[in-house]
Amino acid sequence: MANKHVNAIIVGAGAGGGIVAKELATKGLSVVLFERGEWPNYDEHPNDELISQRTEVLGSPFGPDHIKNPRTLTYKGGSKQIVTPIHGNYNNVAACVGSGTVSYGAMAWRFMQEDFKLKTVYGSVEGSTLDDWPITYEELEPYYEKAEWEIGVSGDDTQNPFAPPRKKKQPMPPFEYNAEAKVLYDASKRLGLHPFPIPMLRNSVPNNNREACIRNLTCCGFACPVDAKNGTQNTVIPIAIKTGNCDLRTGSKVVEIMIDDRGKATGVKYFDKDDKPQIQTADVVVVAGAAIETARLLLNSKSRLFPNGAGNNSDWVGRNLAGHAYTGAYGLFDYDILDFAGPGATIAWCDFNHHNPGIIGGGLLANEFNRLPYLYTGIRPPGSARWGKDHKEFQRSMYHRTAQIVGPIQEMPMYESRVTVDPEVKDFWGIPVASLSGDRHPLDYEHCKFLSAKAEAILKEAGAYQTWQSIGGQGGPSGGQHQNGTARMGNDKKTSVVNKNGQIHEIDNLFVADGSAMVNGGGFNPALTIMALGFRVGEYIAKNFASIRVT
Amino acid sequence: MTEINRRIFIKSAGLAFGSVLLFPACLKQSSIYHFFSNEEALCMIALCEQIIPKDSSPGATNAGVIFYIDKQLSGIFQYDQETYRTGIKNLQDYCSNKSGKSFEKHSAEDQIQIMKLMESNQMSETEWSGKNPANFFNLLLSHTMQGFYGSPIHGGNKDNISFKMLRIDYPLVVDQNQIRS
Repeated sequence: MANKHVNAIIVGAGAGGGIVAKELATKGLSVVLFERGEWPNYDEHPNDELISQRTEVLGSPFGPDHIKNPRTLTYKGGSKQIVTPIHGNYNNVAACVGSGTVSYGAMAWRFMQEDFKLKTVYGSVEGSTLDDWPITYEELEPYYEKAEWEIGVSGDDTQNPFAPPRKKKQPMPPFEYNAEAKVLYDASKRLGLHPFPIPMLRNSVPNNNREACIRNLTCCGFACPVDAKNGTQNTVIPIAIKTGNCDLRTGSKVVEIMIDDRGKATGVKYFDKDDKPQIQTADVVVVAGAAIETARLLLNSKSRLFPNGAGNNSDWVGRNLAGHAYTGAYGLFDYDILDFAGPGATIAWCDFNHHNPGIIGGGLLANEFNRLPYLYTGIRPPGSARWGKDHKEFQRSMYHRTAQIVGPIQEMPMYESRVTVDPEVKDFWGIPVASLSGDRHPLDYEHCKFLSAKAEAILKEAGAYQTWQSIGGQGGPSGGQHQNGTARMGNDKKTSVVNKNGQIHEIDNLFVADGSAMVNGGGFNPALTIMALGFRVGEYIAKNFASIRVT
Repeated sequence: MTEINRRIFIKSAGLAFGSVLLFPACLKQSSIYHFFSNEEALCMIALCEQIIPKDSSPGATNAGVIFYIDKQLSGIFQYDQETYRTGIKNLQDYCSNKSGKSFEKHSAEDQIQIMKLMESNQMSETEWSGKNPANFFNLLLSHTMQGFYGSPIHGGNKDNISFKMLRIDYPLVVDQNQIRS
């Protein structure tokens, strides 16, 4: 039986898609929200480091299935590798209702004003497609505010002198520093830096009929046992469903957007829970599958007017795949500096996000999320034993005594760093898989060296008896954590995929509402920015497509 | 998180995603293991124990690391079966050529020396049958660490041995894992 026509289809129930669903459903539009995964369940993988988003060696706790969903990587020189979600370089994003907002560390950053205009602030960068966003921070500010209040943020930006201007404070008070952060706070103050509590999409106090955070050891990479972490799965998606206008279809794999001969999106083809092929038609289609899967879906949606994929007549879909190069330093202390109060990361510095001599942008620094035992086996000063008696002794004596400061360097966008669809490898459903290729910009490594040195200086001042740097930014293909850029937002259809409203150039009823639209990654974790973009795209569709509402 | 455990190259794509190469159970004699033969297990236990030796607290053998590796090789690590089978054979060939006895019969000191040669790839093609011993060693190293430091539900870390050693309450119990004053 054919599915009933609806006003809007949203592909992907994550940070962006969940919000668009709520924005449309509460305005009276009928919505089908597709999610290839299922509702997350804490009890399936409680506290299991080996099946977590931190260490996926035995599987991805929130999907996707590791056999059914391969990708390929092409390295410089042409060697190709098939990877599955349990490989780090697959760049997996949780496939479940809420997606990464279930398992993230939940840092709640607003980008700074400069992050929206890197080209204006720093000039063109050779070998990079660095550009300004078509929107400013000021244009996105009201939507950041909506994200903070509707999803739920704990923080106090008044303690961060580098924070961009805001109209309304964050809704919940900030978290207290853990033991490590207290030491780092004093040390960084002595260095003239400006530490402050990390804003978090977690409840510091009871909120939204859910508990306050219990500060458990496992947080980043895991679902929350008491549901104190705020994501779309426990905020906007339930609201959307409650309206009666939103049909959430889990286990449904959207494989193609149908585009008619007039260049309009008419709906999607998908495989349902039972893997049966289905068609759903709609007036508007919104893609929010994260930067890799969104690009793959657009590229796999070939039609007469768009023979190379939806919105891809300028060959920009899938390009500029970027992420964050994590970089920082470790310090060993002669006392137990860690108390393992979850989630571990509590203190941050924005002193190095912008206006660093010789550096394009920069990044925040923060102390690290709690490291679990297996992850810690790889953390040793250079030249240390990787196994044997000494390795075990280090593990035992230093597990509580190793502090880490780390931050995200936004990778310089690269035209050749990209997602394509693989000509040979197909997924379980017979659909060409995403293929990642390209290199990082050489500046990424230079920027990482800069930020790692700053992290090390704080640890030294804090009294670490030994420090060493861990420098990121090398090796390709790009992507890493916080994938973005593959359906870039811009005013010129020749050098971008969507306009400033998230609308695909030349297909005015097809939208993108996830990190794909970002022009660069920002020196911050991007979740709140993706949420703000979701609110903005949702509002635009609700306003401009009101006439399509089914009554 | 960025760890690459192994690389599956495109030339083996059909193998990797079509039919998985499973070694039939009938090739082995009766064994408490799913994958390893009893002889292989003796070698594996010795290798794992040198990676995480018993000292003031239990080592890999006491933690049952071999049961973790054995279990996963029959499941999610099935692509690594050949690396283990060939790796153990190459190691035993190397040992019998050098000293006429199997790896596990060597003194701890000698075992460590041999493993250092594997780790640093300091074996000639004739000594290690044309293969790269570090490839096997690195896989074994990751898996041993996982078995010892990962959750007991996967077959290793018996009685939370490593969690006790690290002084952590783990696995945690909801509402009991708050900061203690």
